[in-house]
Amino acid sequence: MQLLVPNLKRYQVIRTVVLVWMTAVVFGAFLLSIPRINILEHTARNLYFHVPMWFTLMAAAVVSAYHSVRYLGSSDIARDIRAAEAACVGVLFGILGLITGIVWARFTWYEGTNIWWNFDPKQSMAAVQLLIYGGYFVLRSTIEDPQKRARMGAVYNLFAFVTLPFLLYVLPRQMDSLHPGAEGNPAFSEITHPIMRLVFYPAVIGFIGLFWVLYTQRVRVAFLRQRTQGDIEL
Amino acid sequence: MISVIQDTLQTQPGASTRYDSIWAHTGIPSQQPEGLERIMLAEDKLYVVLAVVLIIWFGIVYFILRTDRKLSKVERSIESGIPSETARHT
Repeated sequence: MQLLVPNLKRYQVIRTVVLVWMTAVVFGAFLLSIPRINILEHTARNLYFHVPMWFTLMAAAVVSAYHSVRYLGSSDIARDIRAAEAACVGVLFGILGLITGIVWARFTWYEGTNIWWNFDPKQSMAAVQLLIYGGYFVLRSTIEDPQKRARMGAVYNLFAFVTLPFLLYVLPRQMDSLHPGAEGNPAFSEITHPIMRLVFYPAVIGFIGLFWVLYTQRVRVAFLRQRTQGDIEL
Repeated sequence: MISVIQDTLQTQPGASTRYDSIWAHTGIPSQQPEGLERIMLAEDKLYVVLAVVLIIWFGIVYFILRTDRKLSKVERSIESGIPSETARHT
């Protein structure tokens, strides 16, 4: 069966664009003057880094779920490989998002306390979400037969994907939380100065592009292993 | 400050604590920061942004290095011409 091998030329072009783009984003993040507000001060710039992590996780989850659906339709192992690698890179960004959120909160809202984990609803739900995707990899590692692993993995992946909008978006907004848009808090667009969109939107696009580059690298490696060793074992 | 937060959390059993009720009592911290906070709170908390960027950067670097290691394994197996029965998880 023909693996969906990534087009090398297109990959190299996108990789160059993404790297240049992200360099510009980092420059802009530090050079663009932003309004300073109490407690946050400069850390408002974390908006350009912490929040795109979650947008990237969501994009990765969509890509992964898409390939899982396509696998169930075609039983093409390449789809399973792509679904697994997308989930893997997505979880990386999720973990980075969680850690950066902890550090951000620790030195702003929890300054002076020794509190690192806040049981903020969005924070806790995000951790649960990552555990659910972690279960996907645990499940895959228990099944030896590649086709069976792919099928069960695809079904579980779709379940994990369905929980995503609820855990990351719907539920935290209903509960009292530090995050914008939650009960008692004004919406993100109301409390964020419009100038920050100048770096924020490119940052989201750039990090999703970075996800695509890392994901495509992992897919190329996995396809090589598939062709030389007959099986990938994630 | 921790005791203030804990007191507030205990006043309403069964209901989730409104976040603004925690910070309404506390005000701006008055004691001098010590330890790690001395660095992180300096320069209007600029170093917190640096920490966040470095966390993301090193996370991605680590990931790239891991992918490279997997790539090397495949290249070695091609050169030696001996495909293993099942791929080992690195």
